[in-house]
Amino acid sequence: MEELFICRCEEVTRQELEQAIADGAISMNELKRWTRAGMGLCQGKTCAKQVMALLAQKTAQSPAAVKPATTRNPVRPMQISYMTKEAE
Amino acid sequence: MEKQWDAIIIGGGIIGLACAYYLTDAGQSVLLLEKGDLGQGASTSCDDMIFLQSKKPGILLTIALESLEMYRRLEQDLPASIEFESRGGMVLIESESQMGHMQDFVRQQKALNLDVELLTKEQARKMAPLVSKHVLGSTYSPMDSQVNPLQVMRGFVKAAASKGLEIRRHCGVKALDNPAPYHWKVTADDGKVYESRFVINACGAWAAQVGELTGLELPIKPKRGQILVTESVPAFGQTNFWSADYIVMKLNPDFAKERSALMNDLGIGLSMSQAQSGNYFLGGTREFAGFDKTVDRTALHLILKEAVRFFPALEKVNIIRTFSGFRPAAADGKPFIGPVASQPGMYIAAGHEGDGIALAPITGYAISRMITGQPLPYDFSELSPARLGI
Ligand SMILES: Cc1cc2nc3c(=O)[nH]c(=O)nc-3n(C[C@H](O)[C@H](O)[C@H](O)COP(=O)(O)OP(=O)(O)OC[C@H]3O[C@@H](n4cnc5c(N)ncnc54)[C@H](O)[C@@H]3O)c2cc1C
Ligand code: FES
Repeated sequence: MEELFICRCEEVTRQELEQAIADGAISMNELKRWTRAGMGLCQGKTCAKQVMALLAQKTAQSPAAVKPATTRNPVRPMQISYMTKEAE
Repeated sequence: MEKQWDAIIIGGGIIGLACAYYLTDAGQSVLLLEKGDLGQGASTSCDDMIFLQSKKPGILLTIALESLEMYRRLEQDLPASIEFESRGGMVLIESESQMGHMQDFVRQQKALNLDVELLTKEQARKMAPLVSKHVLGSTYSPMDSQVNPLQVMRGFVKAAASKGLEIRRHCGVKALDNPAPYHWKVTADDGKVYESRFVINACGAWAAQVGELTGLELPIKPKRGQILVTESVPAFGQTNFWSADYIVMKLNPDFAKERSALMNDLGIGLSMSQAQSGNYFLGGTREFAGFDKTVDRTALHLILKEAVRFFPALEKVNIIRTFSGFRPAAADGKPFIGPVASQPGMYIAAGHEGDGIALAPITGYAISRMITGQPLPYDFSELSPARLGI
């Protein structure tokens, strides 16, 4: 069967996410740290919703109860040459 | 009556989880209480290095070498890969005076069986073709290694859970009572009181707050580190990298004069390590700023300037994340691993500053041996809280 990537940037499959939940991940932060889902170039913009839905379903939480992962700056990728100039 | 645990571990960072792994492995019943999510402290806001070359010969180098061997075994023993890799490390040297200091240092480390040598400019460029032409040479050790701390924690959780570890998240500890020797009552945020024979304070930078609950004054403070993460890129060389200037300054404080005051205030020393995913971690600062998580532009800018000075090709690379974390810094620079003599059953496993990832296995193992009354492979008295009268 073709693998189904839920996080395309980091190529994380549904199966890998389910395994991490089976290993004991119960929050978006834990799931992100254990599988890298949401750590890619888009920083979770594309995949976060689906990951949250899966986590809610597998841990029998209501989707509203699942807190999003903490985000880290910059929200968009930025070239180093630009960052070093900007500060001058 | 409520269940009585052999041990309650407070804090679910890499140190607490290492203790859980080795204690359950020794057949102890263990409960771990974490005030937030697992790894919400320093253990997920850090680099991934087991960096031996920065260590002065002494107990810390000795146990770091032991811990490295333990990681090698954990790569086999834990249920999934922890991405252990001995990629080696180079300390990049920019001036004749740095060269002199590093020569001395390398000689001392060799005496303690650390496999390390000095490379000429040409040899260094061979290992790291993209390094800037101004670099005069480097050290090289094939032993410097890395792991993925996130996978290490996941492995500890899974393996320990299969041996009965119980974990309560969002369950910070707010009171500790000690009605009798080796009898602890631990009150947590869920309003429950958990009982055990042993308590292990593995709260990293927050260890002093938990120490206060039993009147201990643990001299551990948060030392902030700011870091940037690049997109996934091809390697800039075979190894991970550090700049010599910070290491030399630690060995010889006089050297601080050769650096700008701002660099010294922020404690900046370049470290560059590449995760298996291809992302580089560019670090970092070492600052006392309380529990303030912000990252500031000045610091990030200085780190990037350092990085680009050593590797000009970095200019074209994208930064995708920045973050900061709190190293648990002990007053005398050494972690506390051992019992509190005046409070039978209370153990401290905290204060690892910039080496908590490297030292997690040996810390967990030592705590487990102490609690189960087994002999230890080394003399840990230098790391006992008793060294500072605690
Ligand atoms: C920028 C940076 C780079 C680093 N690079 C490296 C490196 O390359 N190699 C290396 O070896 N080390 C490195 N370190 C150091 C390493 O990250 C730390 O030494 C290590 O993570 C400390 O682990 P810990 O488990 O003691 O603390 P933490 O991971 O901080 O865990 C402590 C836990 O205790 C919990 N807690 C606090 N109070 C309570 C309470 N009352 N009740 C219950 N739980 C509580 C916290 O929520 C936290 O989860 C780096 C650190 C930083 C900041
Ligand atoms: S799709 Fe997951 S980080 Fe971009």
